[in-house]
Amino acid sequence: MASKLYHWLNERLGFDDLYKGLLDRPEPRGTWWNTLGSATLFLFTMQVMTGIFLLMYYTPSPDHAYDSIQYIMNEVAFGWLIRGIHHWSATLMVLLVFLHMLRVFATASYKYPRELTWVIGVFLLLTTLGMGLTGYLLPWNQRSYFATTVATEIAGLVPGIGAFITRTLRGGTDLSALTLSRFFAAHVWMLPALLTVLIGIHLYLIIRHGESEYPTEED
Amino acid sequence: MDEKFKQRVQSRYQQALQRGERFWPDSIYKDLLVSLGLFLLLIGLATFVGVEPEPRVDPNDTAYVPRPEWYFLFLFEFLKFIPGQLEWVGAIVVPGIGVTVLLLLPFIDRNFYRHYSKRVLALTVMGVIVVDIVMLTIMAFAPAPAPEQSAIKSMQMWAGLIIPAMTLILLYAFSGILKEPASQRKTMITTASIAAIAIIVLAGGSAFTLQRNAPPKEKVAVAGTIPEQIAQGEELYAVNCTECHGADGDVTVIQGVEGLDGKVVTPISSKDVMYTFTDDTLFNIISDGLPELGMVPFGTASGGELSPGEIGAIVTYMRYTWDDRVEVPEAAQGGGIPALAEGEVPSYDVHIAPLTKRYCVSCHRAGKENNNYLMTSYEEMLNTGDNAPNVVAGDANSILLQVIQGHEVEGKTGTINIMPPNGKLLKDEYVDMLIRWVMAGMPQTAEDAAAAATPAP
Ligand code: HEC
Ligand code: HEC
Ligand code: HEM
Repeated sequence: MASKLYHWLNERLGFDDLYKGLLDRPEPRGTWWNTLGSATLFLFTMQVMTGIFLLMYYTPSPDHAYDSIQYIMNEVAFGWLIRGIHHWSATLMVLLVFLHMLRVFATASYKYPRELTWVIGVFLLLTTLGMGLTGYLLPWNQRSYFATTVATEIAGLVPGIGAFITRTLRGGTDLSALTLSRFFAAHVWMLPALLTVLIGIHLYLIIRHGESEYPTEED
Repeated sequence: MDEKFKQRVQSRYQQALQRGERFWPDSIYKDLLVSLGLFLLLIGLATFVGVEPEPRVDPNDTAYVPRPEWYFLFLFEFLKFIPGQLEWVGAIVVPGIGVTVLLLLPFIDRNFYRHYSKRVLALTVMGVIVVDIVMLTIMAFAPAPAPEQSAIKSMQMWAGLIIPAMTLILLYAFSGILKEPASQRKTMITTASIAAIAIIVLAGGSAFTLQRNAPPKEKVAVAGTIPEQIAQGEELYAVNCTECHGADGDVTVIQGVEGLDGKVVTPISSKDVMYTFTDDTLFNIISDGLPELGMVPFGTASGGELSPGEIGAIVTYMRYTWDDRVEVPEAAQGGGIPALAEGEVPSYDVHIAPLTKRYCVSCHRAGKENNNYLMTSYEEMLNTGDNAPNVVAGDANSILLQVIQGHEVEGKTGTINIMPPNGKLLKDEYVDMLIRWVMAGMPQTAEDAAAAATPAP
């Protein structure tokens, strides 16, 4: 009975092909350095999950943002744990993306045929940094307020269009409720969506070309 | 890139696959193990380190020094070395070039080889950049040198900018000059290792000197524990408020304050105030002052000098000290002025400094009316004042001792009031402490005091 059901489902969904195509692949001999990419992926999923929890209580308005964070930290059961994980996972993710990039560079894995994997990777790095930058403002405390003031000021140094960029990021001349809602939208929707798509392409390319082998003397 | 090269790469890859492992379970097993380790690490960090608390936004607190997330710190530090009018180069052009190079790396690096020994240039460039980023980050964490520490500043400049830049230029020059692969490798390896060692030594050295010369960090105990806040609040109260409200907040008539002499005030430690004012009200009074009534504003928002965190500490101190409805945490009791044992000689460092800080310094510091008698340090206490010296070793008639015992003194510039001038003398034990100190010859340190206590044989 069970095997019949399996067969029926397999015929329509095709797990066997999936298994063969995705999991049962040969790989060159790897080392622990090869786990950095998947470790980053793991942290990203942690961010998504804890982020969704935080979203249930967080309010993106200048009047309530700070208090909603206090509420998460002090009142919500395990709120401190969820926020703590989100905070530290963000930190580690940046670190790991960077290390992952260094290992890819060191083993020259960006060369033919994996050039595009690398290019997508750079966009992943930038998007991850963007997540960090936008997330920093959300607690609406002293540190986030002033750091964001400086960051948006720096963006204003671009010759010619600097003032325009600063105004667009802030939604006005100063940091305000508009800035907070813009950063919030970027942090919970735009950048995660972008990141998901980019990670999808990144992984597709990795499966298509296979993980690179460690170079030997002749390579 | 010709077809033959591509075929060679592909066939070598196929060989590597033959010798390799399976994605499932070999690679996945390692991935899962690392993820599990990270998960445990995250829970540990969240539980034992947590998220540093920060005060609410206060856009008027211009004294706040902004600090970006640590992974942007190196850029921040880098910008410090760039002169003002070139800031856009440092902030936009250099990072812009960096990102572009990174993005186009597979197309810029046309070297076909992948083995480390054939990519010495690329790898050393990467090494220098990584070491420099790490170093800039470390420097950003070290406290900023004071303006007079220009030596350290220029050393930082060398370590953070000039040496790495020169190394990179040198590397390119060498790779251009020495086409001979074998010798090229050797020279480059030597240059690169020397540069790397130089950078690390310089960075370590400057970080170390910085650490040693760092001014003790001013602790803004914004989110400190209650005892910490009370201690901070007590100190701030003594400096800012004692002059008008008295050390115990019980002054009813202000005396000895320019422009407010004789002004009647509600004792702020009374139940009237403590029971009717909430913490927020107290906070606002201190921050905004009561201009019509003569109380100056203290908050930075209104032109004063106290940050919201500091005012909060004062409110906490007042609440815990004067409101009999709250219980003082044990750790905060004691008041900072150690009691004297029978026959013990007090010293300036241990006893007198906290005492004067609490009861006298509020008026006896620069910029106040006090016959130019400053009491913020040992030397000042001994030597300043229109009628200096106010303390004479072994003289029970020293001016200071007379005024704190309630006797006015005729000075050169007129009558010197009793001290503190608001009519409420110090507690007997503190008067006694000052007398014993003067009689013992005003020892400064605890050792001097101990020596004064045991008469020379
Ligand atoms: C320059 C003198 C001066 C200084 C310094 C000063 N105050 Fe006042 N304060 C006053 C005067 C005058 C009033 C009005 C008193 C009144 O009308 O009862 C007042 C009122 C108050 C009140 C309200 C009392 C009431 O019943 O309305 C509080 C609370 C208070 N001060 C706290 C402080 C604290 C805390 C500090 C130190 C940060 C401080 N003050 C420093 C002069 C001063
Ligand atoms: C409310 C402000 C205030 C406080 C608090 C205060 N003083 Fe004074 N002090 C003065 C003023 C004002 C003078 C100037 C003489 C006068 O007007 O009485 C003075 C003068 C003196 C002098 C004479 C200085 C000289 O050279 O003429 C001595 C000594 C002195 N104070 C000691 C103390 C001591 C000790 C304390 C702490 C227990 C203290 N004072 C606290 C305001 C204050
Ligand atoms: C959100 C960030 C990222 C995620 C989740 C991610 C994920 C992964 C994973 C799972 C792998 C395969 C396992 C491994 O080799 O570690 C991989 C490989 C790779 N990544 Fe990333 N990556 C990220 C960022 C980057 C960045 C910033 C770069 C470079 C700029 C990059 C370039 C590459 C390349 C070239 C490979 C192929 C390596 C090889 O075949 O040996 N990735 N990535």
